[in-house]
Amino acid sequence: MLNYIIRRVLQIPLVLFVLSLIIVGLMQLLSPQQRAAAFVTSDKQIEHLDQIIEKYHLDEGFLVQYGMWAREVLKGNLGFSRISKEPVTTTIRKRFPASVELALAAFVPIVLVGVFLGTIAAVNRDKLIDQVLRVVAIIGWSLPTFVMAIWLVAWVYGGLGWFGIGRLPNEMLIDLATSNFHQYTGMYTIDGILNGRLDVTWQALIRLVLPATALVIVVSAGIMRVMRSSMLDELGKDYVRTARAKGLTENRVIYKHAWRNALIPVITMAGPMLGRMIGGIVVIELIFNFPGLGEWAAKAATQLDMTTLLAFVMLIGLIMATVNLLVDIAYVIVDPRIRYE
Amino acid sequence: MSNSELLEPRRERWYESKRFKRFRRNPLAVIGVVILLFFSFVGLFAPALTADRLGRACIRDLGMGRSEVRQVLRDPLDLRFWKTMLVPPKSCYNIPRVSYSPRPKPPSKKYPMGIASGGYDIYYGIVWGTRTSFFIGILVVGIVMVIATVVGGVAGLFGGWLDNLLMRLVDVVYSIPSLVLAMVFASIFGRGLIKTMIAIALVAWPIYARMLRGNILQVKAQDYISAAHAVGVGNLRLFFKHILPNAIGPMVILASLDIGAIVITASTLAFLGLGADVGYADWGQMISFARSWISNPGGEPLKYWYVWFWPSVAIALFVLGWNLLGDAVRDALDPRG
Repeated sequence: MLNYIIRRVLQIPLVLFVLSLIIVGLMQLLSPQQRAAAFVTSDKQIEHLDQIIEKYHLDEGFLVQYGMWAREVLKGNLGFSRISKEPVTTTIRKRFPASVELALAAFVPIVLVGVFLGTIAAVNRDKLIDQVLRVVAIIGWSLPTFVMAIWLVAWVYGGLGWFGIGRLPNEMLIDLATSNFHQYTGMYTIDGILNGRLDVTWQALIRLVLPATALVIVVSAGIMRVMRSSMLDELGKDYVRTARAKGLTENRVIYKHAWRNALIPVITMAGPMLGRMIGGIVVIELIFNFPGLGEWAAKAATQLDMTTLLAFVMLIGLIMATVNLLVDIAYVIVDPRIRYE
Repeated sequence: MSNSELLEPRRERWYESKRFKRFRRNPLAVIGVVILLFFSFVGLFAPALTADRLGRACIRDLGMGRSEVRQVLRDPLDLRFWKTMLVPPKSCYNIPRVSYSPRPKPPSKKYPMGIASGGYDIYYGIVWGTRTSFFIGILVVGIVMVIATVVGGVAGLFGGWLDNLLMRLVDVVYSIPSLVLAMVFASIFGRGLIKTMIAIALVAWPIYARMLRGNILQVKAQDYISAAHAVGVGNLRLFFKHILPNAIGPMVILASLDIGAIVITASTLAFLGLGADVGYADWGQMISFARSWISNPGGEPLKYWYVWFWPSVAIALFVLGWNLLGDAVRDALDPRG
């Protein structure tokens, strides 16, 4: 097991390497001038694009350029982001907590809703409620995240005036900047409590409601599907029949015996679910005006800020690889029948 | 009746099969098919449905006068009617601009779905956008199948280190959320419908390559392949004539059912500003026109509902149709059911 984990951890840099090769490779489709734009930090420099091209060897071959990029990255320098007008690492440090806060706010409801509805559908197989949930799941699955987000912004925020967009009201952001509000985690909900400013926590929380709801609607359908079919699998197994034959109540059979085992396959959904969530967060942050990593990357994509995009993809690759590894480890812990060599 | 006819059991037609019956009796499948038939109708007859509002460039490229175009597009017996329905000039895909005003205008008799910011006729965009969506879905699936067949085929046929290498590539591409990678590719390729489609295809192929590879390995282990090999069938012939046709089926079906997901990615990219050229009839881009008119803070809420409502409903229904169909087909093919 330990060997397996070590081998998997060693694979992560390899994945990032291949990923960066693909993207830097495709970047060769751009002209040297377009690539030079990534190094421009002020308007003045635009006039000296030729010097930049020469300095960073942008008109040379793929290997030279890849080597240049890799050398800087290994030194811990991910480059300068044109979109946020500061070094990429600074922006990531600033914006990462916002995205994590949103992801965490959505994660728990996604799992709860998915598992709960999936169980109900399986227990009532082929009855009306199962059919209704099935339709609901397909509709949820069919809605593009940005459509869901726009409907929520228009109807709930615009129409009813409920909740809010952004991370905090502007006045509060100014207030926080001038007072001695200490950013322990960068997540306003938690920092508010730590600073004894419950009003900040409250404002941050209600602004998470709509974006998190959009994520729950589009992501939990997948969990529900897996939960339903895995629950049906379990309910058809011999040990469930034995439990029923022993005279256990149906509730006990379902929730004490079958349910626990049915949860195991749901763990494997963590990877795909996170992937769907990250894709959703990019769009949702843009629509809800939520200054996280996704909004940053989406803006970078429209303005061809390759330094930012490359760093963003590397970060996502790292997160996905880590989560997938953790999922595999968790799988062994909950299901002792599984062994990795 | 001759002897052989008596001995040979009548072959079951596809519409008599248990699978098809299961599919037909599924009400969700029927709804999905109805939705898609509706969109096919709108897409196919887009020129006729917008005969009164075709743009100047479009009419010029049709090579007829405006009144003549109107007449032709009302007359299904005219050969030119069908020619326009099947292969309309490219310029017709650009939404004609009624004005250049940045302020949207509500639905009226002449513009039943309203006018979007920039003077774009929303009804025209929705109708022609249907064609664009089908086009994107079908073409991307086509490209995906080609890439998946090449990669999966090579991996499954040759095995060894090449297989290993290709499958690791599959793992890497598959490990990144498809929207994120598609966004990066689309950013590098630049704006344009075809470029966006290539970006999406480059992200969507891995799962199908892996599926095809698995099926090829399965087929390769069958006795009839060994038999064919034994009688001296050449490797290439063996692959194209015996292995590939027997292994490719599930991939083709599942990939074509993925059109819904592909349209989601494409419309999201278009919404971000990474899709077709500005003004092209594309639902995702039409929603991006609506960006600054969504919540209308300060003013009357929902005043500009029509700018985002129609295109978002069109996307949601189109994807829903494909997913209902896909779900039903998967159910019907499920050997456990």
